[in-house]
This record gives sequence, structure tokens and C-alpha cells, in this order.
Amino acid sequence: MPQNSETKSLPWGLTPGAFAAWAAALLGLACILLTPVFPWLVKWPAALTLPMTDWIGSVVGWFLSVLKPAARLFSAGLGYPMLWANWLLTATPWPLVIGVVTAIGWYLGGLRMAALGLGGLSFVLASGYWIESMNTLALVAVSVPLALMAGLSIGILAYEFPRVKKPVQGLLDVMQTVPTFAYLTPLLFLFGFGPVVGLIASAIYAAPPMARNVLLGLERVEDDIKDAAVMSGGTRRQQLFLIEIPAAATQIMVGVNQCLMAALSMVIIAAVIGGFNDIGWEVLLTMRKAQFGQSFLAGLVIVVFAMVIDRMSGALAMERRRYDLRVIGLLMAVALLFTLLMGSSLPNPSDYAAFDPTAAVVDRALGDFTAEYGLALDQLKNTILFYVMLPLRIGLDNAVLPFTWGFMWTPAMSMIFLAVAATGGVALFLTGRRVAGAVLLLLAVTVETGVAELPWAFVIGGAGLVGWVSGGRKLALFAASMLALILVSGLWDRALLSLYLSGVSVLACTAVGGATGLLCAVSPAAWRVVRPICDMLQTIPLFVFLIPVLMFFQIGEFSAFLAICAYAVVPMIRYTRHGLINTPEEMLEAAVSSGATGWQIMREVRAPYAVPTILLGLNQTILYAFSMLVIAALIGTTGLGQSIYLALGKGDVGLGLGAGAAMAILALVADRLVQGFAEEKRRALGL
Amino acid sequence: MNDRSSAPAAISCKGVWQVFGHNPEQKLKAALERSGGDAGSAAANLRKDGLIPAVQDATFEVKEGELFVIMGLSGSGKSTLIRSISHLIQGTAGEIEIDGENILAASKKRLIELRRHKLGMVFQHFGLFPHMTVAENVAFPLKMQGKNKKQRRQRALEVIKLVGLDGREGAFPRELSGGQRQRVGIARSLAVNPDIWFLDEPFSALDPLIRRQLQDEFLNIQATLKKSIVFITHDITEALKLADRIAIMKDGEIVQIGTPAEIVLHPVNDYVAEFSKDVAKGKHARVSMVMDGENPVPGNMPDDPGLRTNMTIDTALAKCMELYEPVPVWDGEGKQAGFVHPSELAAALQVEAD
Repeated sequence: MPQNSETKSLPWGLTPGAFAAWAAALLGLACILLTPVFPWLVKWPAALTLPMTDWIGSVVGWFLSVLKPAARLFSAGLGYPMLWANWLLTATPWPLVIGVVTAIGWYLGGLRMAALGLGGLSFVLASGYWIESMNTLALVAVSVPLALMAGLSIGILAYEFPRVKKPVQGLLDVMQTVPTFAYLTPLLFLFGFGPVVGLIASAIYAAPPMARNVLLGLERVEDDIKDAAVMSGGTRRQQLFLIEIPAAATQIMVGVNQCLMAALSMVIIAAVIGGFNDIGWEVLLTMRKAQFGQSFLAGLVIVVFAMVIDRMSGALAMERRRYDLRVIGLLMAVALLFTLLMGSSLPNPSDYAAFDPTAAVVDRALGDFTAEYGLALDQLKNTILFYVMLPLRIGLDNAVLPFTWGFMWTPAMSMIFLAVAATGGVALFLTGRRVAGAVLLLLAVTVETGVAELPWAFVIGGAGLVGWVSGGRKLALFAASMLALILVSGLWDRALLSLYLSGVSVLACTAVGGATGLLCAVSPAAWRVVRPICDMLQTIPLFVFLIPVLMFFQIGEFSAFLAICAYAVVPMIRYTRHGLINTPEEMLEAAVSSGATGWQIMREVRAPYAVPTILLGLNQTILYAFSMLVIAALIGTTGLGQSIYLALGKGDVGLGLGAGAAMAILALVADRLVQGFAEEKRRALGL
Repeated sequence: MNDRSSAPAAISCKGVWQVFGHNPEQKLKAALERSGGDAGSAAANLRKDGLIPAVQDATFEVKEGELFVIMGLSGSGKSTLIRSISHLIQGTAGEIEIDGENILAASKKRLIELRRHKLGMVFQHFGLFPHMTVAENVAFPLKMQGKNKKQRRQRALEVIKLVGLDGREGAFPRELSGGQRQRVGIARSLAVNPDIWFLDEPFSALDPLIRRQLQDEFLNIQATLKKSIVFITHDITEALKLADRIAIMKDGEIVQIGTPAEIVLHPVNDYVAEFSKDVAKGKHARVSMVMDGENPVPGNMPDDPGLRTNMTIDTALAKCMELYEPVPVWDGEGKQAGFVHPSELAAALQVEAD
């Protein structure tokens, strides 16, 4: 850690990190010891709670009711293009649709993409979900142009007017951290029930990635190119539209790709509002009826859809070859001929159910499997639940009960436990491992009390101290005041529950993802296996993750935990591997010529160099975990996610937005803290 | 060179300042008032205030048809200076006149007009538009002028031929080598047949061999087109090879302006001398710089090796190898311009600034 001016004033020559860790640990210890005397240290007095959700509800509610007439008009207006898109996609004979998609595939990426389009849509057709899929596609087809236009305009605006850039970037940050469900409640209020809400929600959700990439792309256009446009005598508008935007095309296409994927994901999530016969609704319906075979099949259709859209739009951002346009004509001719020949005898796409037997088999096999191994599965679930998750949630003092652990945790045990930890901590401190000692004590405090019952003073103080180490006084103030906002709003208990579940998931992801990333960095063979899995996991809309977990572990916290991990582990793997692989060649040569072995190079050269990258991966993992947390509320979690979901059902705008904002605050604070560390490490390495 | 000193100025810069930082105009004015107009101490004061005076009080003229090179190390302010002149950035203070018109006062519309018809610029990293073919790149300034497609195509092909890229007009920039890319950049800057030509380190990003080849071709083009040129480089050999006159910049300040021979033979300070240290002076200095043209010519000079005023000192020395007496020097029209002692020719190559 770099010696800064603040170091000098710290007692015993402690580094800022060690100082903060010890301050936090002692604060925690003090809070625990004082709780019996001052119970308000743990539980914020209700008298001091401000009814913020009510305030938000009435202010936003008033605001929304002003907007409502215009919004209703807008949604009525949007109804038409949606109907047309819907009609176009469902009324067009399916061979034509498949033909067009295959032709687009050919145009974008030649034989491979054409085959992907043909194969993907044939699967959809054979699954019997053709109509539902086309309905979903219609939603995407209308929401994406809206999102693209909005994103493009925002991006250009932020680029053209430096003064609005900062606020716009902040807004984009917030928009991407506010959980998807939180959007839905006010939108429902504004636009009324129906598919248009899903459409607008997905347009709102999909616009930020587009805006971000447009801004990034424009900023990255070489200065010489911009200057050349000026010197050619272009007006500002000519420079922008004839030169800068086309020159940024590659990055903008990345934006289009992300925009499409976000829209698809949101359209499917929005199905929880119901009222539209789309594929997301189908998944939800079958899931509720516990028809896991069908649900799995519908989920697969979504995955196939996502793959086709992702790979094809991804091809837009690659350097493109020109493919023979005659092939497109040929494909269209074949599709048309086929349609005409079959004429009215063309079977109804919904009649296909080629996989229904398979679904039934899956159902039966699943039934047999759970009958056979249900006990083992339950045991696995219960072990993790009772011995890992529960103690972390409510603490050893409450989790250790005679019927699970075999004995009762007594206050005396708490004292002994803490005393041992404190002794260990002090011993470590005295032998020079100062940070390690504090961390031991911190862990002991957390495990003893449980995350959900941590004293608020400890959480807010601790976050402030971490902020101070990571980014100085400003960040400390930001972290502490943001969390304090949640505290006084009365959402604190739920926020701690969310913090706990995402914390456990992030810990698991860090361990598993880090190890997998390391393995993939060492062994290319492992990466060849892991990589397509990662690609796949990142393409699948969040919603679909719930299906397989539910199949095996039923509704509950454990299933939510698994779903979150499955989604959030990917960035950890990718960034760890990337960081470890991308050590500069000269550094490796220098290490080799110093006589280092492979593992020594890994430990002494590659790993330290990779730290900033790995921290960024951790950051991504945290954000992923938070966004999945809300989706996982569908299958039973407590905390903020549940509140947002409940608010959606009750149409409670205040609660929905308040809980959404609390969630966003948690995510933002975590994001800034980790980014601060990453930034500092990068500076220390001179990157 | 000499005959051009009477030519009208194409570009004239008077007291040009380019200061970066917060509120530069006010701060510069205040600093100049405090220093009583002394540029050096005003710049020092600005630096102390955390501003960056990238160009200080630059004053010079570029004559019509002159190839004016601005040379300096990175960070010396040369790129900033050419950007102030071409008005890619707004100058902080001073006057910049192009053909007698103060462009610092020009409206946006007038500037666009000027760029469409009068100015051309070549960039270090080419600045080619990646989504356009070679022909479209070259034709872009013509498109801005409002020329129709046919006119654009015709003129573009002309200039592409001029830079020796005929046959590649349909290629995209990514398909070209570095040298070819810069040919496109040169062609594009010449498409509207500008009077003033800015080149910002045009050859610095190229391999040495390609660089030399392009320098030669550039000189050929200039010999026929006779543009008024501001050329930026950090390479003293390039500057000496191309320039009619050179301005040497250091830390935002122009320290010397002179012909290549003057720079080599009479550096004003150690900094300039340091540049020309490794340069073979005999190749750049001319006999006229060392001959005696004022004192009466000695009565009898037994030898006449046929020295001329514009001969390089290297060539002249080669002709005087065995001579130890003063010899006559002849000008271009065959009249005797003066005389020189062979030992002085040799001594000129040893010059070091004190």
C-alpha cells in the first residue's frame, strides 16, 4: 500500500488498511458487548424511522398521475405498431419467416449463421411454441427500435455537450443498477396492464447499454479522424453523421447487440405482469403448475432465441465479409415456393409438439430421479442451509439448535468464542500480520451475530472505513450516508437480508469462479470446456436460470442461492482467467530467466499483475448477483427483492421504488468500494 | 530562397499564444500585465498558476510558395501551434492572418468556407475515414464543397494518380500499408487544390525507407504545385532536407528561425546546436554562407576550381583539396560574387556555438 500523507498520523505506524480493519473490528466488538445495554444499536428505533416509501409513493404517485393521460395516449399509440408487428409475424406462413431469418443469417455471417437461423427456428417450430415465440419477437421488434433511438440520442447528446455528460453517465449507472422489477410498478401505474408495459419497460431497460456504447464509440474515434473531418470543411452535423458515427460503427454495433439482449431478457421478465400469450408467460405458467418438462422446453426455446439473436447481432460488430447476395434470393425463392406448394395444407405451427413426448419423459425421469435421490438432494440442501447459510444469516447464537447441531448455543459460548477470536486476532497483530488479525476478529463478529442481525452502527461504520481505505474521505462519506439513508427509511432489515443472500452468493462465486478461472488459465483444455458454458450462461435470459434449480430443489432460499451463483459466477471466471493470462511477455521472460518455475511465476508474477482485473471481475459478480437477486424473489427469497415483487402485485409505487432504490444503493456502494480498490491497485502497478 | 523574401506573406502570425487551463484569456492578460509584456516571465507565471502555455508569443511569416518547417521535440508545442494556425483549436491571444484575413476573428461559416477551398491538412496518424474507400476518402472534401458525384470522382482519380495510388481507389484504408495510407492522406488534402497546406508530422509514423521515398515524392509534388506549406516534424534531418526555412521550438517558444544553412552554421544557442551536432553540416551549408563578398577581391588568384555560391560546402571542399590560396566564387549568372579561402571552408564545418 502506498505511503500517503495520512499514514503518518496513524498510531503504531499502521497502514490505512490495517487501521481501518482494526477500527471496524473493535467497533463490531463494542457493538456486540453493548447491545444488552443499548438495544437500539441493533434495532433502529421505529420512532426515528422516516416513512420514506410513503413519501416516495405520494410524490411519485402525484407526478405519475399528472403524466398518466399522456402516458395512456402513448401506450394506446404504441399498441398499433405492436399489433402490426404481431400480425405480421404470426400471420406470415412460418416457412417464410424461417426463410427470412436464414437469409439474414447468411447476409450477416455466411453459412454458419444461416445454419444457426435455420436450425434455431426449426427447433422453435418443432417445439410447438411458434405462436408464443412470435408474440415475444413482436414485443422485441417494437421495443428495440425505441431503445436504439433513445440510446443513440442520449449517447450523442452526452458526447456533444460535455456539461450533460457527467449527469447522463450517473443516470445510466443508476438505471442499470435499479432492479428490473422496480421499473415495472410505476410503469404499470402509468400505462395500465397489458403487453405495452412490458414493451416500454424493456425499451427503458435496453436503452442504457446502447447509450453507453454510442458515447464510448464516439469518444474513441481517433483525434486525427475528427480533425480531418473538420479540415475537410464539414459542418458540425456533417462531421457527426458522415464521419464520427460511421467511424464508431463497430462499438455502436456492440451496443446494438447488448440492447437486443437486454430487451429480450426484459420482455421475458415482464411476463410476470401477464396478459399476453408469450413465451415468458408460458415458462411462468408451467413452472407454477410444476410441469417442469414443459417449462424446461419453453426455457430452451428462449435460450435458442437468445442464441440466434445474440450471435447474429454479434456478427454486426465483427469485420464483415460480403456474402453472395444471390444465395439470399435463392433462400427466399425456396421458402416462397414451399409455402405456395403446401398452400392451405400448411400445418398450423401450434400443432407441432415434437418434443412433448420428450418433455413427458423429462418430467417422468425427473420424478424418478427425485424419488430416488430426493433424500440425498435434501441432505445436500440442508447441510449447506443449516451449517453455512443459516449461521451467516442469523448468527451462531440463533442458528445453533439442538435438533440440527446437537447442542444449544449459550451466551457463555458467545463470550468464549469472541474471546478466543480476539486473542487470536491480537496474537496475529503482535506477530506482524496486522490485517489478518483484524479480519479474523471481523469474521468472528459476523458469524456470531449473523449478517441479518448486525448492529447498524457496525455496518455503516465498517462501510465508511472500507470506503476510506479504498477511495479516501469522499467515498467514505458516500458509502456511510447512502447506507444511513436505507437505515432511516425503515427498509434496513430487508436490506440486510438482501445483503446476506448476495454476500453468500458472491463469496461462493469468488471461491468457485476464482478456482475455475485459475484452472482455465493453467489448462487450455479446461478453458475449451468452460468457455462455451460461460458463453451460454451469459446469453440465457435471467429468468431461465430458475427452471433447473426449481426442478431439483423446489422453492426456497437455497434454490435462489444456486440461481444467483449460476448467473454471477461467469464474470469471476472470465476476469480471473483473463487477468492471469494477459501478463506482458517481457515480464514472463524476465521471470523465466530469473529461474522461476511455473507455479512461482503464477504466484509471484501473474497473480499480482492480475489483481486489478480480478477485482473488476469481483465487481461484475457483485452487480450480477444483485440483479439476479430480484429475479430470484420469484422462487422465494426474503428481503428487498421480495418487497419489490410484492409491491408489483399490490401496485404500491412507493414501496416498489423505495425498495428498488435501496437495492440500487447497495449495488452502487459495493460497486464504488471495489472499483476504488481496483483503481488503487492499478495505480500501484503503474497501469 | 532569397528571391522569396520579397514575396507577400501567405500566413502571418503575430504574438500567438495558446494557453491551456482554466480561464486562459484572463490569466494570460493578467500575467502579461504583471511582466510588462515580457513573454518569458509571463509564461513562467502561468506555469506556476497551473496553466500550460503550450505556445508563447509565436511571431513569424510564411511566404507564398514557401515550405516552412516547424521543428521541435515532443511537448515543444509544435503540434499545438499548427492547430492554432489551422484553427482546429481556438488561439488564446495574438493575430493569425491567412492571405491578409485574420482568421481568429473569422465566423464559423467563414472558417468552413476557408477549409472547403483554401486549406488542406495531412495528419500524423493519417486520419483516414475507415468506412470509406480510398476514392471516397479523397473525394470527401469535394463532397463538402457540394461538387456532384461525377466531378468528385474525376478529381479524386486525378489526385490519386498524382500520389501514385492509381488502381487502388476501391480499397479500404485497412487494406493499405502505412505508406499507402499516408499517400491517401496527402491526396485527400490536395483534392480541393488548397493554397495553404498543413502537414503535421506526416511521415513520422512510417518506416525509414518509406519515409525517405515519400519525402522525395513530396518534394516533387511541391516543385510543381508550389503551395505555401507549414510542415511539422521532430526530425532535424527531415527539416533540413525539406525546408526553405525552419523554426525551432522549445517549451512553447520559437528559439530560432532561419534557413537550413543558418540553423546549421549559426545556431543561436546550445539547444539548437545540439540538434545539428550529428548533422553532416557540409551537406546543408552553402559556399555563400562562408565566402567573403564584401572585401575587395585579391588581385591574383592562381587557381579557379569553379566554386559557385549555391554549392554545398562538401562539394566545394572536394574541389579545393590541393589548394591553399583564396579562390573566386561565381554566382548563378557567371559573375564573380566574392572569394573564399579553402581553410575557411574546412573551418566552417567545425563551428560550435559558445
